[in-house]
Amino acid sequence: MRAAAPVVPAGPSDADLVRRVLSGEVEAYAGLVARYRDRFGRFATQMLGNREDAEEALQDAFVRGYKALARCEEPDRFGSWLFRILVNRCRTHGAKRARRERTIVLDEIALQGAGVDGDVEAAAWREAIEWALAKLDDGQREAFLLKYVEELSYDEMAEMTGVGVSALKMRVKRACDRLRVMLREVERV
Amino acid sequence: MSDDELIERAAQELRRPVRMDPAVDARVMATVHVLPRHRAERARGWWAWLTQARTVRVSPLGALAAAAAVLVATVVIVPRLSPDAASEQLAATTDPVALTQAAAASSVDSAHVVQFVFVAPTARSVSLVGDFNNWEMDATPLEAGPARSVWTVKLLLPNGRHRYAFVVDDSTWAADPGAPPAAGDDFGMPSSVVTVTGSSS
Repeated sequence: MRAAAPVVPAGPSDADLVRRVLSGEVEAYAGLVARYRDRFGRFATQMLGNREDAEEALQDAFVRGYKALARCEEPDRFGSWLFRILVNRCRTHGAKRARRERTIVLDEIALQGAGVDGDVEAAAWREAIEWALAKLDDGQREAFLLKYVEELSYDEMAEMTGVGVSALKMRVKRACDRLRVMLREVERV
Repeated sequence: MSDDELIERAAQELRRPVRMDPAVDARVMATVHVLPRHRAERARGWWAWLTQARTVRVSPLGALAAAAAVLVATVVIVPRLSPDAASEQLAATTDPVALTQAAAASSVDSAHVVQFVFVAPTARSVSLVGDFNNWEMDATPLEAGPARSVWTVKLLLPNGRHRYAFVVDDSTWAADPGAPPAAGDDFGMPSSVVTVTGSSS
């Protein structure tokens, strides 16, 4: 699923909801928040390494998005526009958090299912990935997540981050190189 | 497992859906509710059609004819302008330049009248958007001078730092080249900063 691609919603379209909010119907914004909460929460959680910071960044992005909604030039691409705000908010929150020790919290879904051997193995694998992800530089982690998890093109990533395509390719390559080394180490243990 | 397969397996795991606390929605909406509501969009219909910016294709011959018409109009009209209008016309011949001036006419200590000036000789409309009007394009239109090249508006703004931009013809955003650019603009549009202080200078 592409973060930059517009969601095809079951209810009102993004453009409809944006228009309603801009016409003064504040409650319509709740529809947009509910639609993108989990989708963007995944990126924020993986980028910042814990739910608390991720929720804070997510809330911050949604509130900023509301304030600036009149500047969303393509309401049908609200999700893409808001994701760009979120990427920036994660950078800001990440910089604040860098002063604290990074805490990795296992995904709750993985923890809930960790009852039998196979699930424990799956949870351990996920823990290893999150540990390795946390070891990356912020720029490498951001580039890797946008490329491999959000599945954006390099052009979309450049537009989203303001970083050049060649620099992004280098960050992704270095991220992959480091992840391979760390995950191989985990495999050997 | 190959190196590529290892990375892909990790990515697959990370692509699994994540459930965030639905209380996030309530917290966002509680914050949003205390913010100013967005104003109603302008009425649609024939007026919206008339004011909608659109791309116009012009042939080289048509462009030459238009340029000739502008030249004739300039030769005929400029000698009749007053000195003020002539200076405005002169300004119109330069690249669009915007100036922001903190004006002296303050009404209260915590707020001051700020005059925003934007030079756009070919614009049909210019409006001011900023955090003080919730970035609403219809909220603060600028008025054109006699030669329709210098656009101005005065606003009473509270002391503090305000981000703003100009919107030309309801479609083109422009920062104020005469003011500091806003840092960390994460909305993807150019904007500038004006700081209103207790001093009227």
